[in-house]
Amino acid sequence: MTTSPDVQPGVAVTESRQTPAAPSGPAAPGGRPSRRDRAGNGLTPGWLPWLLQAPALVVLFGLLVYPLVRVAVLSFQDFGLRELVTGESSWVGLDNFTEVLTDPLLWKVALPNTAVFAAVNVFLTVAVGTAVALLLAKLGPWARGILTSAIMVAWAMPAVTGTYVWVYLFDARDGFVMQTLGSLGLVDPETTNWFTERLPFFAIATANVVHHGFPFVAVTILAGLMTVPKEMLEAAALDGAGAWRRFRYVTMPLLKPVFAVVTILSTIWDFKVFTQIYLMPGGSGTNREVLNLGTWSYITAISQNRYGLGAAIAVLLTLLLLVITAVYLRTLFKQEEL
Amino acid sequence: MRKFGSGGLTRTRRGALGLGLASMVLATAACGGDSGGGEELQNADEVSGEGKSLSVWIMEGTNPDADPYVEDLKTAFKDETGADLDVQFVPWADAHDKFVKSIAGGTTPDVAEVGTTWTPEFADAGALADLTDVVDEAGLDGDLVPGLVDAGTVDGGLYGMPWYAGVRSVVYRTDVFEKAGVTPPTSWDELVAAGEKLKAANPDMITFPVPGDSEYGVYPFVWGAGGEIAAQEGDTWASEIDSPEAQEGISFYTDLAKEHGFSTPAATTWDEADLSDAFSRGDVAMMIAGSWTPGALVEANPDLEGKIGAFPIPGPDGGVSPSFLGGSHLGVFEASENKDLAWALVKLMATGDMADEWSQQSGFFPGTESLLQKVQEEDDPVVSPFATQMVDGGASLPVTPLYGQVQGKKTVSAMLQSILSGDASVADASSQAADEMDEIFNQG
Amino acid sequence: MTRTASSRFWLAIGFLVVLGFSLGPVLIMLSTAFDGRANDGSRGLLPTEWSLENFAFVLDEGGFVTYLRNSLVVALATVVISSALALLASVAVSRFRFRFRTSVLIMVLVVQMVPLEALVIPLFIQAKTLGMLNHLFGLVVVYVAFSLPFAIWTLRGFVSAIPRELEEAAYVDGASWPRMFWSILFPLVAPGLVATSVFSFITAWNEFVFAITFLNDQDSYTVAAGLRQFFTQYGTDWGAVMAGSTLITLPVMIFFVIVQKRLSDGLVAGAVKG
Repeated sequence: MTTSPDVQPGVAVTESRQTPAAPSGPAAPGGRPSRRDRAGNGLTPGWLPWLLQAPALVVLFGLLVYPLVRVAVLSFQDFGLRELVTGESSWVGLDNFTEVLTDPLLWKVALPNTAVFAAVNVFLTVAVGTAVALLLAKLGPWARGILTSAIMVAWAMPAVTGTYVWVYLFDARDGFVMQTLGSLGLVDPETTNWFTERLPFFAIATANVVHHGFPFVAVTILAGLMTVPKEMLEAAALDGAGAWRRFRYVTMPLLKPVFAVVTILSTIWDFKVFTQIYLMPGGSGTNREVLNLGTWSYITAISQNRYGLGAAIAVLLTLLLLVITAVYLRTLFKQEEL
Repeated sequence: MRKFGSGGLTRTRRGALGLGLASMVLATAACGGDSGGGEELQNADEVSGEGKSLSVWIMEGTNPDADPYVEDLKTAFKDETGADLDVQFVPWADAHDKFVKSIAGGTTPDVAEVGTTWTPEFADAGALADLTDVVDEAGLDGDLVPGLVDAGTVDGGLYGMPWYAGVRSVVYRTDVFEKAGVTPPTSWDELVAAGEKLKAANPDMITFPVPGDSEYGVYPFVWGAGGEIAAQEGDTWASEIDSPEAQEGISFYTDLAKEHGFSTPAATTWDEADLSDAFSRGDVAMMIAGSWTPGALVEANPDLEGKIGAFPIPGPDGGVSPSFLGGSHLGVFEASENKDLAWALVKLMATGDMADEWSQQSGFFPGTESLLQKVQEEDDPVVSPFATQMVDGGASLPVTPLYGQVQGKKTVSAMLQSILSGDASVADASSQAADEMDEIFNQG
Repeated sequence: MTRTASSRFWLAIGFLVVLGFSLGPVLIMLSTAFDGRANDGSRGLLPTEWSLENFAFVLDEGGFVTYLRNSLVVALATVVISSALALLASVAVSRFRFRFRTSVLIMVLVVQMVPLEALVIPLFIQAKTLGMLNHLFGLVVVYVAFSLPFAIWTLRGFVSAIPRELEEAAYVDGASWPRMFWSILFPLVAPGLVATSVFSFITAWNEFVFAITFLNDQDSYTVAAGLRQFFTQYGTDWGAVMAGSTLITLPVMIFFVIVQKRLSDGLVAGAVKG
């Protein structure tokens, strides 16, 4: 999804910070509401919180929860363009799900393309992001300023533009990469088209997604690194710990919640990746090998007008993500309250 | 432009958030019903449109510089009816989705150019008005190009007024052919022989690119070999794209790339736009392209002026291979509140001077026979070969809304791409495509 | 000494690699955008012929002036509305104890996991029902919904970090709740608002799927949707695509570089205090 990698860090950042602090009470000054709030105190009536959150809840229910229910309903119907215009619709029970679940495309193509792609991209994004964060932490203020600006620029480039640029770079006949490698004699531009094969296709998509996603990880982890007390690292250094050991045994445990959050958020974004695949050559349906759940659902619903079937695919993707959400919640909130 | 689609925009506001599917369905039905049944479409010599405005969608790029035409049209329509026009250009790439969304969303324009393959789909969905009676009343029924009438006819009703037609033939570089000493081939063997010569003379050029993301290049070869895309049996359709004849055609076409090396691997993911890009860069010796492309190619690269020619797609042993007769209808949308006025506009655009002006500027052929005759009489090197192709070998795709779904699923392009990239044999890919088509035909 | 030198060397290498990876694609975009002959097939790191032609075309015939204005309107409206709603909601969940508080929080968290493409169809039907199709405001409402969950979570951290004593002192001075909110809470949460604003701004600015689905009228396109028109049936105008992309990217870059310091301050502050 275009928006997600740009947006969600907000959650991650604060959330991650809270987790280590909150369980142990005193570390969270003022964070823990005192008892009298339970019924509201004299100055703040009990309905006040509801009044305050009402607008946000209305928007969330109206535009996220309710449509989600609608998707679920649609997935049990035969719903096409005609139904949309005439207003008729017919219930087909589990037919749409049967069709999706028995389609070899799901098991051989869409699901692996979604899950494996997400796994690889999450790993790379987090690894690259962490490495860049560690690098940034070591640089002097000037170099750090320049490099942060540069990665911000990478972050700022919209997914749409980014995808066009990466496609452009790897274009089979006159793309920059192809021409460079071709002039070095490493590939033969006369016989190679990277977009037709599954692996190179997703390798290019991976470069795109990692390029767009690592700045968020780098900035978040850098922010986390700033909070690691210098004394602890110095003490470890005095004990003779090298750079790797200090990272592994001091920094990592302290930043565990941060890593958990960036990993899980990246997982969610990379499962949902749509624009970056859809806009690549063959990504909008011609090359069946490169469909993922997101593009498959969109093409089925919008290009073929089979809204019911498209919704069924979307429901499967949502269920998959809800499982991940559950993991997310468990990781973060095992022992503490929200 | 914000005024359009009044049916959907104003009437349904009461459908408050959270009332569920039922309210949505009722609201949709209400706006479909109201505007659909309220007004009977009539043909009149004079319609007053004083103070009214019609919204019109026209495909972008058909006419490379359409602004003067639009100005003329606005003036002519204002003179005739007093109404204003709000014309919007829609890129082809997004057009189908955009129509679907506007039909679904009740934001259709009053009049729109509708690609001939989409007309049955939109008519079937109840979005287009039946024009049969008004066409009769206006005395136009005998003058329309038959291929376009067929493509716009669903269950005996005509839902699209033929506006213009186009057909694909082979567009080639006259200078390159001349230098290699090649003349336009007239059979499949000659095509291969010409290709070999061109390839030897110009190793850096792409002799005959075979684009994997365009279905229209393969149809002529399927038809030329005596195959069909699908055949109608009573009410249902059955795919024949895996018949021996069709397979022979597909093999010949894809072998131009795989066997003879006339194409380039890059073309495996090309669509027609990429093909035109490559041609206007000067990389291509010949390609299958529409009658409307030569003008755009010269505009993109003025160096090509005078170096572009065309010849009909040859049949296997001479003659002409049928090519898809494409083009556009003008449709009046059911949801329009001024259907009589809309029909007056359609008449103005599709007949007489305005139609003539459009076909002159766009390089397409007019949709009425009287005007078509006029064009055929002129002897233009990049026009007459297409006219020959259209008259001798114009064919149509299965006229069923379900074929629109087949195209939406990109069944034929997917077949081509998998053959070109070496993932599947012609036999496997075509039988898979046939299965996919049959599956779509059967659920309809 | 050698150790320091070699580590400096590796730092420099790392610096260059990251710089190259980050900016490489951006440079290609810029060089093509400024290339007067972008469509003739030759591509490199520098334009073959410097020209502003592509930009002139995109802004004039491409209609990007309108699209940029639309995008700006949508993005700013999204930022303002979502910040306001998120601030109020975050105060509610972090300063008050009430029934279903945990349920509300879990809902906010779960809701952001929903794949947005899954919502295209129902939101489209819903927007139609409400007559919001083709209206920029319809898009704003959707983007507000998308950016709310993270904004609420982020601000919740900032609000919790504000010592309760400050609040109580205000009450002692006789301030009412709204007054206390305005003069105590609001200023202290401001850095958090900067961070959430950046994210809402980018959601609205870069979003492409809903923009092309909701908007049928070219006059109301946003930039991401407007880019599509340069991919035509008659060829792709790469010069225009890249010039358009530069115009899309530029404001976000400027916005980022300006808020960069505040942003990382905000992030770190949130981290320490949360």
